[in-house]
Formats: sequence, structure tokens, C-alpha cells
Amino acid sequence: MKNSKTLNLREIVVMASIAIVFGVLYLGWIFFGQVVRGVLGPVGWGLITGVWIMAPTMCAYIIQKPGVALAAELIAAVTEILVGSVNAGTVLLLGFTQGLGAEIGLALFLYRNYKLPGLMLAGVLGTFANFMTTYVLYGYSQYSPLVTWLMLGAMMISGAIFAGLGSKKISDALSCTGVLDNFALGKLRRQNQELNKGV
Amino acid sequence: MLQHYQKSDHFLQQVNPTMKLMSLLTVIFYMVLIFDPWTPFLLLVVTIIGISLFGGVPLRFILLILLPFSLFAFSFVWMNVVFPDERGETILFTLFNMPVALENVQTGLSLGLRSLVFVSWSLLFVCTTEPTKFMLSLVQNCKLPPRFGYGMMAAYRFLPLFREELNQVRAAHRIRGLGEPKGLKGKVDETKRYMIPLLASAIRKAERVAIAMESKGFDGSTERSYYRVISWTKKDLIFGFGLFLLYAGLTLGRIFFLQ
Repeated sequence: MKNSKTLNLREIVVMASIAIVFGVLYLGWIFFGQVVRGVLGPVGWGLITGVWIMAPTMCAYIIQKPGVALAAELIAAVTEILVGSVNAGTVLLLGFTQGLGAEIGLALFLYRNYKLPGLMLAGVLGTFANFMTTYVLYGYSQYSPLVTWLMLGAMMISGAIFAGLGSKKISDALSCTGVLDNFALGKLRRQNQELNKGV
Repeated sequence: MLQHYQKSDHFLQQVNPTMKLMSLLTVIFYMVLIFDPWTPFLLLVVTIIGISLFGGVPLRFILLILLPFSLFAFSFVWMNVVFPDERGETILFTLFNMPVALENVQTGLSLGLRSLVFVSWSLLFVCTTEPTKFMLSLVQNCKLPPRFGYGMMAAYRFLPLFREELNQVRAAHRIRGLGEPKGLKGKVDETKRYMIPLLASAIRKAERVAIAMESKGFDGSTERSYYRVISWTKKDLIFGFGLFLLYAGLTLGRIFFLQ
């Protein structure tokens, strides 16, 4: 198995499928999300935003190559448009900025550390990028600073919990099923198992 | 429903998808600088009429989709009334000892309508663009590497399969007595239960398809021929000119009426 730095077709299709599965699961939550957004306003919405960054952090953790987070989030955005999202425009912009945010988080660790703190940082920076984008797009400058700060706080916590902790847990559980054996995460798991046996 | 509109041959359906995508992005950038309620309102009306006239999508369908989003749009109004950056001076009335200022209602309306404009333009794109055509246009007109384009299309074709699988997993869990979800917590637990089996089978399927594609000679190189060529036509020019007129009209209107 060659281990090049660029993404191959297998990884691209897997990334897109993960994005689509998340898309299918989100469908059950979209209505709930709209209600939260309408009733609780941006702060309540902030608590959920981390969920949208789960796909890129998960893909980055599974594939562990530079650029995966950005690519995964862009793929997720485009597939969402293919499926017929009525928020196509903002989804695409958000996909780019969120992916970039998560990518910077992983790049700060030089793509060597894929442990929990690194993933959480990626999640936090991803939601931070989401905040900056929506701040400009939806004119949050018109709100009192208290609300915007609260919202940013809610978003960053949500990013750390959902996108960081959540995607790590899901990926680890997936790894145990053996479907990831051809990817970086599955290989690491097998190496660890063999090491343990040796000792 | 959606596919039916995407496949009809009205004017908007024949415009190059890349052109429509770029216009969508310019609309977003144009709207970001605007804080009065009239401009987004006008643009919203023009867009809705445009979609139904040039895209052949019935008005009812558009309004039905915009309905849930108006709830979201409304949140901007009350957020601006309750937590404004600076409270306006023209007090309309007081609600529970809280003054409601005209200026804040206006800004709220503007932001709410802006979010509806985003949705309506996205609707214009989604309702009039066939997914395959969009993907081919990204590959052919935007220099997206075919590896990504066809990879995404392959995964996109899985969508109905995944939906079916979700139903199967749900039925399997039910037959083993896990029952219907109760309340919010039940729903969260349920989603957690579905996640792993769905993702595992998705990854397996994706790997198999990728191997099949490669074994049939798909190497993802840019030098390849296409059965369907997405080209630039006169219609794109007309669309671009119409868009320019729309922006020019809005900008002129703002200069004459708002100052």
C-alpha cells in the first residue's frame, strides 16, 4: 500500500460518503435546528454549530494527511448542494472557511499530532471560522457585544465537544469494526494491537 | 419534484451552472454591505418572480420552502429589538417595560430579509441545476480535478441507498425491542446508535466503488474526453447582463431613494 501525501480516489469517495451519511442524519435534526434558531436565537444556535464540523475533523483523524480537513468540508458542502440544500450559497462559503479553520488547527501541530487536544483545537478553530463568516454574512455587528461574545463562547465549546471529542469517539468506534483498516487510523490501531501482543 | 424542475428546459436551466454559482456568491457579497430593509425586500421579490418566470418553478413551491426560513428570519427582528448594538431613538411602543425602537426593527427586518435573499438565490441555483451538470461544469469549467468530481458523484449516488439503510437499521433495532425514541434524549441516543452501522457500511461501499472505478481504468487524470460537454453560450451572456442590470438598478434606487 503506497502512502503518498496526496488524496487518492478511495479516500475521496470515502470522505464524500461520510459527508453524505452525516447529511442523511442531519435531515432528522434540521427542523429542530430551525426551531432552536428561531426561538433561542444565535446563542442557542451556537451550541449546535460544532455538529457541522464533525465530518472534516473525522475525515482528518481517519486519513491523517495534510489538507484533508479542508477538502472534506468542501466536499461536504458540494454534496449538500448536490442533494439540494436550500442554503447552497452560505453552505459553500461556510464550507470553505470552516474547513480552513479546522485545517489551521491541525497544521499548528504540523500534521503529526492527531490526539484529542489537536482535534479539539481544530474543532474550535472551525467553529471560530464559522462565527467570523456568519458575523459578516448575517450582520451580527448590529447586536450588542454581549450577545456576540456569548455566541462565540457557545460555538467554541460546541466545536470542542462535538467536532473534537465527538468525532474522535465515533472514529475510534468505527475503527474497532475493522472498516478503517486501509486508512491511517486503522493501521495505527493494528500496530498498537501487535505491539501489545509482543509485550 | 425537484428533479422535475431541474430537468425542464426553461431559460435558467440552460445557463451554465458555474455562472449561476458565481452570481449566487456575488449576491451574497452585495448584500453583506446593506442594512436597510428595502433593498433586500426588493431583491427578494425580484428573485422569486425570476425563479418562477425564467425557471418554471411554481410560486407556491417557492413560498412553501421559504416558510420555515421566515421563522429564522424573524429571529433577527426580535434579536435586534432585545439586544441591539445601540438602541434607536424613535420609540414605537414599549413591550414589558422594554422600549421597541423603529431603527432596531428596521435593522432586524433588513437582516431577516437578507437571510431570505440568500435562501431564495440558493433556491434559484438548486431548482434549476441538475446535480450531474453542476459537477461536470465544476470539472470542465472550473478545473476541478476529475478525481474529486467523479468521486463525489459516485458518493452522491449512494444517497438513496443510505436512506434505505437508515430505515433498515431502524427496523432492525425496533424488532429487537429498542422501541421508539421518547423525547429529546431518546432521539440523541437513537442517532448515536445509527451512526456506527451507517458509517461502517458507507465506508465499505465507498471503498468497493473506488476499486471498481480504478479497475475500469479511471485514473483521475485531467486529459480525458467527456460524453456531455458543458459549454458557455449566449444565454450565459444574457444572464450576466440581466444580473448587471439588477445590481445597477438596485444601486441607483438606493442612491435616489435612501439618502
